[in-house]
Amino acid sequence: MKASIAGLGWITPLGADLAQVKAALEAGHVAETRPVQNPETGTIHLCRAVPPKLVESLGRNPRLRRSSPISYFAVAAAIAALADAGCASLSPEQAARTAVVFGVSNGGVIYTRRFYEQIMKQGANAASPLLFPETVYNAPASHLAAALGIDGASYTLVGDNSVGISALHLGTQLLALGNCDRVVVVGCEEIDWIVCEAFHEWRLAATPLAEGGSAIVLEKRGPLAVETRAGISFSSRREAADAFRHAVGDWTSELIVSGANETFVDRVERCALSADTRWLYPKRQLGEAPGASALWQTILAALNVRANTTPDALVPVVGFNQQASCARVTCASHRHLRTSNPSTGVSESQDD
Amino acid sequence: MGASMPIDPLPVFHRVAVTAVGVISPIGVDTAENATGLKDARDAVSSVTAFDVSKCRSKTAGQIRADWQFPMAKAGWHRASHFMAAAMTEAHAADPGFAPELAVIGTTSGGMSFGESFYRSQAAHTNARERASWLANYMPQKAVLDALGACEWSAPMQIIANACASGTNAIGHAFHLVRAGIHQRVICGGYDAISELVFVGFDSLQAATPDKVRPFDAQRTGLVLGEGAAALLLENWDSAEERGAPIVAEITGYGVATDNFHLTQPNPTGIGPRLAMERALDDAQCEPDTIDYINAHGTATTFNDATEGAAISQLFGERAPVSSTKSMMGHSLGAAGAIEAVFSILALRDQFLPPNINYVTPDPSWTLNIVAKEAREAKVRAVMSNSFGFGGTNASLIVQAA
Repeated sequence: MKASIAGLGWITPLGADLAQVKAALEAGHVAETRPVQNPETGTIHLCRAVPPKLVESLGRNPRLRRSSPISYFAVAAAIAALADAGCASLSPEQAARTAVVFGVSNGGVIYTRRFYEQIMKQGANAASPLLFPETVYNAPASHLAAALGIDGASYTLVGDNSVGISALHLGTQLLALGNCDRVVVVGCEEIDWIVCEAFHEWRLAATPLAEGGSAIVLEKRGPLAVETRAGISFSSRREAADAFRHAVGDWTSELIVSGANETFVDRVERCALSADTRWLYPKRQLGEAPGASALWQTILAALNVRANTTPDALVPVVGFNQQASCARVTCASHRHLRTSNPSTGVSESQDD
Repeated sequence: MGASMPIDPLPVFHRVAVTAVGVISPIGVDTAENATGLKDARDAVSSVTAFDVSKCRSKTAGQIRADWQFPMAKAGWHRASHFMAAAMTEAHAADPGFAPELAVIGTTSGGMSFGESFYRSQAAHTNARERASWLANYMPQKAVLDALGACEWSAPMQIIANACASGTNAIGHAFHLVRAGIHQRVICGGYDAISELVFVGFDSLQAATPDKVRPFDAQRTGLVLGEGAAALLLENWDSAEERGAPIVAEITGYGVATDNFHLTQPNPTGIGPRLAMERALDDAQCEPDTIDYINAHGTATTFNDATEGAAISQLFGERAPVSSTKSMMGHSLGAAGAIEAVFSILALRDQFLPPNINYVTPDPSWTLNIVAKEAREAKVRAVMSNSFGFGGTNASLIVQAA
């Protein structure tokens, strides 16, 4: 399945500006870690957090006033991607032909943990009705649709850290079905100590967990193309390598934006993909944000293609317990790319 | 204009067959038991025993009977895996030649009760031996992986979590993919298992009732939760005919709408449900008077039934019979739309209208033809099934006789 990338946006522990974060990654900057503590046991985990100033302006939005950070990341990333696509605000006519696809792995885990904590410590009759609605997986997508005025299709997908590619794939399907002209594909994650301890238990926390959001606006026409495959499911890590090889198939590229996170994933990628290709490892600097990372990888791939540093880029994603997926970003118009600014990766010309 | 990067060309529409179904609900653990239970107007709501509800307003739910388990279950599986595997293997047995290219499944909370166990273990620092197993079986994709494995199928998965509309969204999206020719065969459905967190959540919102669940009744006081799973095998009609597959129904329409009024409350005008139903009718290219039965979302909350009742009344008047089968089994959240789609197919197959039990007092706010208390024999050629959820998700599906 193939669609065009019209806009990109991210909220990362290294910032939110497309060009600045790309430059920071190229310069080898690593996002700072923040301690997250289990108050019951005192155990401390180090995570890569989003600087609060990146989303603080959204606090004035009445829909977001009581919401969890994940909803802020979703709205902020989507607004940034739409601005990058040249439609900072959607007209009612545009909104009517726009769909939302939101991908997430752990979801609104801060409110979920707090709500259950209230039940355990204070009793069911003391649990707050303000918290529960925000625990629902699709709460961020709901806030996002409200912020953008979208009254049509909105899908929330859950899964492992391959969910971002699944969301791109679903977005591409929606475009192909012809019921919309534009799909805002968003992936997000937030951090809580309970998630840190789960990933530690699972031996998946070698790379610090991260929070943040990512968004890609898909349209039918545009300067960059993204192609996705539906993914290959696997039920054990032993099967992951075969699944991943099938997911990649015959795709090759001059650039691989790796999903390596210092777990079994690294070995799976290395076995299946060419070592002679140029590799980027964004998770080493940004951390692992399961719902957001695959789209961060895709955005970095797209920025490199947009900057004309490579004609194409591969985005391999091996989930931790669900499926292996892959996306490939290519340029649809070399004429357009020749007029892009290679230092920032931001397109300066408009095309035919 | 952007440079041309055409996606796949717009689809030619293909007919979409349902070749088999499987279902487990509080009413019954397979399709036959559910069909009998619907015709008998079985009240499958009972006292909750899985966790402490002494401090909750509501103390009942529709629950799969405690002595049931999926016979081929593996150690450590969550109840949700048992449910999804039961539904999927039943569908597989009814059409063994079906090989899915994709699985689109809805859920709201995956294996939530294992997440609760993990929290309790971590907070109390007990280092419970089962922690790794809880985590491995907690994620929403795990039940689908387990069920596919039980059928010896492997397929990419799209796990849709659109709150209480998840099951209908999953079927609707799968339907569109097959109709457009993007896929030939897709398995779809939904599942959910009751958990303490979700039960208390609805109780905290005062959406759950301490009374009987009475959808569309003037005296309704809220919902009761339920659980279960359903699976439907969708296939390109010509492909199904060519391989001699059974065809139990045809899906013809799907509509969605997002209501941005509030995270948990519908717009009082009923615009969300109305748009979803109108869009489903447009999608099926049929008129309201062709719908012979509406399986309503009908949670029995004040707000849902007010908006859905008004929207149905505006679109269909008193002509189309309406019932909420949640009156018998409770609200199974992400499974509800899938289970109710199977119930709609049973209505088409066996030519009857499932009842809306506990209905006593008509609500004067609308005029609806409620299938009150008992099932009715009827000529049923087309059914609309509605699902609406938190976050303003609204979805409607149209199923027709094969």
